[in-house]
Amino acid sequence: MTTPLLIQAPGPMHWLVLAALLFSIGMYGLLTRRNAIGILMSVELMLNAAALNFIIFNRFVMPGKVDGELMAIFIIAVAAAEVVVGMAIFVSMFKQHKTSDVTRINLLKG
Amino acid sequence: MLSETVTTLLFYLFAVAAVLLALGVVTSQRILRAAVYLAGVLVCTAGYYLLLDMEFLAGIQVLVYIGGIVVLLVFAIMLTSSPEFREERPPVHRNLLGLLGAGAFFVLTVILLARTKFAVNADGARPENEVAEIGRNLLNYDVGGYVLPFEIISLLLLAALIGGIVIARKKGKNAETGTES
Repeated sequence: MTTPLLIQAPGPMHWLVLAALLFSIGMYGLLTRRNAIGILMSVELMLNAAALNFIIFNRFVMPGKVDGELMAIFIIAVAAAEVVVGMAIFVSMFKQHKTSDVTRINLLKG
Repeated sequence: MLSETVTTLLFYLFAVAAVLLALGVVTSQRILRAAVYLAGVLVCTAGYYLLLDMEFLAGIQVLVYIGGIVVLLVFAIMLTSSPEFREERPPVHRNLLGLLGAGAFFVLTVILLARTKFAVNADGARPENEVAEIGRNLLNYDVGGYVLPFEIISLLLLAALIGGIVIARKKGKNAETGTES
């Protein structure tokens, strides 16, 4: 006797599909945004979905350990470092070029 | 823990909210509004961590992500664009390519997930004292310990701190006196 997937209590499959959906939305933003900070926010969405994935596997595959949780903490720390450096670069880029549109920044283009 | 029905209900409530807010993050034309939506997505994720019995991580998520990262993003937005700045809709070909890439990734992932059998063990007990367990793992230098990544992360944070200051600092203040700084 199997109940329909949509009214079951959320199992690993539900959680993983949700995380994949959030990651894909972040990926769409990464591919379509033009504002540098918008791109940074899409990357944050993707990092967040990846951390959620670690937590899901921690909870459903080996609930007695905390390894997935540690990985999520590392991801949060790396995301913080990434935002600090990204923001510094965008602010100084804006001071030089008066824009944060990534399609108009071509300083390194040969 | 909560009853099964409540868990299911909360799961779908948070899922719908998170997906709608995430769509807002990637499509909103006002970048400041997108930052607020991003904060909403992160709150929903903290709710998920609570549903998955990770109370400590939910706290970290709210403190670091929402209290730190989103605030920093809002500062960056205010420093780099005027309030009435609007990002125009992406051109059709870019939109199509983005949809195609993201959609293909999603479909591929779901197919792979559906075909994989995971060694699910959902009823196992969580550690008695979760925070103490995390601390012991972070400082464990035996096989499977996390002391090396922990040290590397601390160095990375220091490097990011210095890098952020050096890149964004005001230049030319001491130019007329000729000193290097």
